[in-house]
Parts: sequence; C-alpha cells; structure tokens
Amino acid sequence: MSIHPDGYDLLKTAIKLSSSSLPIETKLETMLRSITDGFQSDRSLHLPPEAISKEGFLSRVAERRKPLWVDETAPFQEEGVLPEERNLLCSSFACIPLSDETSFQGIFYIGFSKARTFSSGEVDLLRLLAKEIGAAIRNDQLHRVAEETISEWTALHEMGKAVASTLKLEELFELILNTGRKILKAKGGVLRIEEAGTGDLKVKSRIGDYHQTPLDERMAHRVYFSRTPFSLSRKGREKSFLSLLCVPLISKDRSFGTLAFYDKESDPSRFDQRDLQLLLTMANQMSCAIDNAMTHHEISVMAQDHEKNVRQLSTLMELNRALLTTVNFERIVHVTLTAITIGDGLGFNRAMLFLVNDKDRVLEGTMAVGPNSAEEAGEVWSAFSQRKGNPSELIAQIGSSTENHSVLNSLVKGIQIPLEHEQCILSRTVLEGRPFNIGVPHDEEEWLQTRCERGCHLGSEVGCYVSEHLSRDPKIYAFATIPLWGKGKVIGVILVDNLYNRNPITEEDIRYLTMFSNQAGLAIENAMLYRNLEEVHRELKEAQSFLVHQEKMAALGELSTSVAHEIRNPLVSIGGFARRLDRALPADASEKRYAQTIVKEVKRLEKILSHILTYTHEEPVALKELDLREVMEESLSMISEGLRNGGIQFTKDFSEKVPRVKGDYYQLKQAFFNLISNAYESMNGKGRLSVRIHPLLKNGSSFVRVEVEDTGAGIDPESLHHIFNPFYTTKDDRLGLGLSIVHKTVAFHQGQIEVNNHPGKGVTFLLTLPAQEEKQR
Amino acid sequence: MMKILVVDDEESIRLLYKEELEEDGFVVELAKDGLEALKQVPLFRPDLITLDIKMPGLNGIETLKRIREMERRVPIVMCSAYGEYKQDLTTWASDAYVVKCADLTELKNTIRRLLRLL
Repeated sequence: MSIHPDGYDLLKTAIKLSSSSLPIETKLETMLRSITDGFQSDRSLHLPPEAISKEGFLSRVAERRKPLWVDETAPFQEEGVLPEERNLLCSSFACIPLSDETSFQGIFYIGFSKARTFSSGEVDLLRLLAKEIGAAIRNDQLHRVAEETISEWTALHEMGKAVASTLKLEELFELILNTGRKILKAKGGVLRIEEAGTGDLKVKSRIGDYHQTPLDERMAHRVYFSRTPFSLSRKGREKSFLSLLCVPLISKDRSFGTLAFYDKESDPSRFDQRDLQLLLTMANQMSCAIDNAMTHHEISVMAQDHEKNVRQLSTLMELNRALLTTVNFERIVHVTLTAITIGDGLGFNRAMLFLVNDKDRVLEGTMAVGPNSAEEAGEVWSAFSQRKGNPSELIAQIGSSTENHSVLNSLVKGIQIPLEHEQCILSRTVLEGRPFNIGVPHDEEEWLQTRCERGCHLGSEVGCYVSEHLSRDPKIYAFATIPLWGKGKVIGVILVDNLYNRNPITEEDIRYLTMFSNQAGLAIENAMLYRNLEEVHRELKEAQSFLVHQEKMAALGELSTSVAHEIRNPLVSIGGFARRLDRALPADASEKRYAQTIVKEVKRLEKILSHILTYTHEEPVALKELDLREVMEESLSMISEGLRNGGIQFTKDFSEKVPRVKGDYYQLKQAFFNLISNAYESMNGKGRLSVRIHPLLKNGSSFVRVEVEDTGAGIDPESLHHIFNPFYTTKDDRLGLGLSIVHKTVAFHQGQIEVNNHPGKGVTFLLTLPAQEEKQR
Repeated sequence: MMKILVVDDEESIRLLYKEELEEDGFVVELAKDGLEALKQVPLFRPDLITLDIKMPGLNGIETLKRIREMERRVPIVMCSAYGEYKQDLTTWASDAYVVKCADLTELKNTIRRLLRLL
C-alpha cells in the first residue's frame, strides 16, 4: 500500500476547517475534497441520516455504530444492498458512522476504484477525520439550536415588554396571539376568557383563518377545568386543523381562560415538546398581564360610573344654583327641561312638562325641549360636545334664550288631559304619585297594558299610544314619566324619552331624574306662586294708577267747573243780545250775518261748557233701575236730523228680555249719545250703523251688553291708546270729551268697555254693564 | 198784563231778560240782589219771579226761603249758571229750574207754562 500523504497536514486542515466560521456545507465540501485528494481516492462523501434508507447495508452500519472496512484483505460480505447503494460498492471503500452517545450525524464514506488495503495508520487517520466531520456537524446543529432558542427567548422578552406596555385588553389579546404565532410558527390561534358571572368560556380574540369546531371547544373546556395543557395532532386533509396546542391561563391559582395555537407551518404539521414548553412559559408570563389588564378594565368601568355619578351630582348642584338665580317661571321650566336633555346632565333625548290645573282638574302641556328630528338631534349633540364648559354655563346660556319654537313645544302646549282619564299614563303618574318606566315591551300583551288606546295629540308624538295593530305603529321605544312634587302634592308630570338614540331607560336614570325633579318641582312651584303674586301686584298697580288718574280728573273738574260758571253768564248775555240783534236787523242787512255768527259760536261754547260740566260730574247722580233699551231710544232721538238723513243704513237689534241696570239715566243717555254720534260722524254720510242690546251671562253673573257698530274709518292704531283720555281728539272742532265721558260712565257703573277696531273698515264698541239682581218673588 | 220780577246780580243779564220779556208782553221789574228783591215783592206784587242763585249778599237760595215766607203762591223760576242745584233739596221750594243759556226759549216756555199761558 502506498504511503498516504502527510496525515498530520490532513488533520490540521480538517481541524482548522471544523473550527472555522464557514457555513457547514462549505466546511464539509472542503474537508471531503482535501480527504479525497490526500488519500487519492475516487470520492469521499458525507451521507446524512435522512439519506440512509432503512433495510440497506448503510442502515445496518449505522445501527452497529461500527465502521465498515472493505479492501483486499476484507471483501464486501454484506447482504441486502439497495439499488441506490450499489454505486457505493467498489474495490475498496470505508463507511464510518458519525455518532456519539446521544446523536447520529450520518456516515462518512470514502471509496477507491483500485483494490487496496487500509493500513492501521490509515484506519486511525480516517477514524480521526470522521470524528472531526461528526464534530463539525454536531457543532453546527448545536449552534443552530442555540440561535433558535435565543431568538425565541428574544421574542418572549419582546412580548413581555410589549405586554407590560399596554393595559388595553383588546390590544393585549392581539399582541399575545401575534407573538405566539410567530414564536410557534403556527397558522393561527385563539384566546378564550371566562365570562364573569356565568363562567362560560368566550373567544375574546383570534388570529389566522380558524373555524371553531365542537372538538376544539371541548378541548378548551377540558384544559380550562383540568388546568393541564393539551396537545393533539391528527392526519388527513379535510380536518379544520391537524395539530393543536392548548394551555390554561392561570393567575392567583385560578384558571380564567385558555390559549391555543394550531397547525404548525412546517411539514408535517406537528408541535413538539419544545413548542409546548414554550407556550407554557408564554402563558405563565401572559396570565398575570391579562389578569392585571382585566382588573384594570373593571376598575376603569367603575371609575367611569363613578365619574358619571359625580358629574350628575354636580349638574344637580349647578341646576339648583341656576334655579335659585331666578323666579321667572318660563326660565325655570326651560332650565329644568334643558338640564334633563343635555348630555352633561341627564342626557335624555326629549323632555316634556305638564302641570296640574287644580281648578279644571286637567293636566296642561307647559313646555317641551328636544330636537325636531334625528338630524337636528345630531347637530345639537355635536354642538354640545364641542362646547367645553361646565353644565352651569350651558344652562345659563340656554336659559337666557327663552325662545322655544320647536314643533314639539307647540304641540305639547296645546295638550290638555283630564285627570279623570285614568288610562292615560300622565294622569296615572299624578294620581298615583309614582314614576312609570315604560320600556320596550317583550310581547304584545305587555305593550297593550302600558299603552293608552285612546289617541290624543300626544300619542302622535310619544310612544304612549297604541294603534289597532302593533305592527302599524312605529313608535316602539322606551319612555318614562315621573311626578313633579311641590310642597306635599303632585304639581305636574315630566315625560322623558330617547326617541333618537333609542337608549334604554334604566332604573338608575329614573332614580336620578326623581332626585333632580324634586328640586325642580319646588322651584317651579315657587315660580308659579311668584307669578301669581306678580299678577296681583300688577293689578294693584293698575288700580293705583287708575285712582291717581281719577284724582287728577277730580282736581281738573273742580277747576273747570268754576271757570265754566264764570264764563256762562257773559255767554248768556253775548248770545242773548246777538239773537236780539239778529231779529232786529232786516233780512237784507249785511250785519245780520255777523250777529248769526256770534249766535252760532256762543252755542258752540255753551255746548263745550256743558260737556266739561258733565264730565266733571257736575250733574248729580241719581241711581235708578233702568231699561237700557229705553235709554238708548232717548239717545237715538237726540241725534240731529242732519246726521240721520244721510245715506246711512241704521239697524236696531234689541233682545225681547233685557234685565234692568241700576244706573244714572242722564249719564247713560249722554254716553250712548256720544257713541252714536261718533259713529255717524265717522261714516261721512255713508255706511251702516248697528245698535244691539242683549242680556249676557258671564261667570254665573248677569250682564247687559250694549254694542254700537259702524262701518266707518275705524280708529288709527296709534290713537287707540288715547281715545278714552279726556281732551284727546282727532277732530279739530271737538273738545275730545265724548269717549272719555263714555269710559267714565261705564266705569262708574262698574261695567267694562271693549273696542273691536278694524282700521279702514269700522269699529265696534262693546259695553258690558252689570244687571240688577232679579228680585225674589 | 203779567208782571215778572227778574233778580240777577249781572246787569247785562237783567237788561237782556227785561228786553226779551217786555217784547213778549210782560211788565218787567228788576232787582240786583236778594235784599232788593225782598223789598220789591210786596211793592211790585209780581206774577212770577226769576231768581239767580249765585249773588253777593243774600244769595238765591236764601232769598227763595225769605220770599216763600211772605208770599207762598208766586211761581219762582230758579235761573242759574250752575246745574248742580237742579235736583237739590235746597231749591225744592221753587217751581222750576232753568240752567242759564243764551237761547231763552227754555226759560220763556217755562214761564208761560207756570203762568198757564200755553
């Protein structure tokens, strides 16, 4: 046998290569080439374990873990050579298994076409070289495993960091599944968490295209209850998954969910022990994070509730403060209803207020606040959410604009519901003094029990009315009514609903609304009392100014009476002598006209004097029982022929029975006369004058109504306020006492005077005088 | 010939009444106040007296009372610028009450009625 090249050199090369940082493929190739060259062999090969088929001679070599030497001294004696192994058989060759106690890295093969003998030195050398090849392969494998492990731990570490960075449950679940899938190289995963209360497992998050199957569900439950991990792999193509890893999530010694991954991306799809271990590690690490996040979630829900409560309480306080700032009824009602509807307050969509009218035993619609349509609702809400500010500012802003033109408001204002109408939910709220929370019914029966069958105007707007068929009525949504308490009694009802967002009305909402309305009720009652007080105050003021007016007139009267008397005597002589002069002058004397002018003017002055004296009450009063029809006839007969003979159509309409009126004949005659002559004068000789006298019953008392209607010019609206003032006139030649005498007379008789004025079309004066009580017979 | 005593403190009124009534065929005597009137009544023996109310010295109401004490039958027409005594008890003893007016028709009609000349 020829001496092989320098064994030392070969070993040196092999060791250098083995410990180099070259890729394993290059290492092997270079090592094998240098061996082939060194031994001058035909070829040398590394046969990896997966290339060694069972049943062949190579597999037996591998099993024996002993080298096979074939040369001149030891011919090939093996049996059962596989076809693919045949080309390995040549004159001389060696197969050395690469293995240590625990692993097997394949077989090192070297073949020679020429027959030769392996010397003991060569055998040793080849063994050493084989060992070096095996070590290189093992090192490479170890290195790869270490690298993989490092990358897995890095991934776990990253996950730990990420998990700690978020407390949002959704995000956390997604993160866990994502990282888990990456580490395990799985196709998908599912995370299940037990449902608080029921203890049922619910899928909280998933990744990959996974279809839930009963089997998967069962296994999750098994893992959850037994608190032990589970892995499964099946064969076949049709299955929803082929392999599965499922581990429990345990925190504080309690299992609260499962984490499962399925179908490894490699082929065959099978999770190994290492994967399971990895998943367990991951699950342990995650459990605490999930538990913490869940606790955090619960706490934040509680915090939100708490914040809501605080906000509502502060709204209540703000409202209370707002209510204290005013006694204006309208404003208080508006503020109350607004507070019920704004988002920062109670947040109902619409609120309506009905107040009890004790006298008539009815509920009267007072005010409503709420958008007209869903679109408007959206605008209003977004406007509110943009307006940052505390509720009191909002309330102040809203309350100051008392204009409320909504359709709902005008509809509600027109509603009157008799309290006897017990079917009505509003009446019931007052009568029973308790709130009603009318939720969306579960069946028709329930619907019918809580809804009114009688339609009223409210029914078209609120879900309290049920039409013949439930299906035809689109108003299936919740609403609630609560009584509004004043001092010891129900003074009204507040109706709320969520027409637009259809939110359910909870018992808590009702509780808070009740608390709130108790405050508002007192404020509204106070405002109502104050309003009455204001009314009385106003009446008193009016009475006072009337008295002042009377006093002024009395003073004026005294003055004018004395002046009038002083003037009257000289007028008598001036007028009297003028008449004499007139009579004495011949008909053709030019001076006759002068005398007549004096007569006429004196006559006018005397008329003015008598007006003044009548107005200032010179004439003593004599109260008698009078038939106003007779008085009117007298007044009509006083009208001069000149007025009467124009183109004026006169109609007289007196009732057959007219009660008597206790009054002063002269005053009334004068008053009627003034009205009639005004009417005649206003029509300029053309038109229609109607005089009517009828009995009238008002509030159980008997009155006589006298109406004088003309079709003249009417009264200029600007003058309307002044027509009853003394000395106010629009006619140049008149003193302006006519209507003030009428007014004074009517007031003296404790009657009332109304004016129906239609400028350009005419005017009607309506006098209402109290009738004399019927004498008992 | 019927005789009428006109009692008035205003000279122009007295003149007017005198001329107007004389024209109507009456004999007219004048008195400028109550005291003068009381003197005239027994001397002149009028068939009718017109009596002003507001006069200096003895006023019309007092004069009316005094005249009635001595002469119960003579018709007396109260003739005043004031309307307020028209239905007053103070003039109940008179026979008529006429508010003074430039147009003497009402006064003359009243006089004729009282003297039954109508």
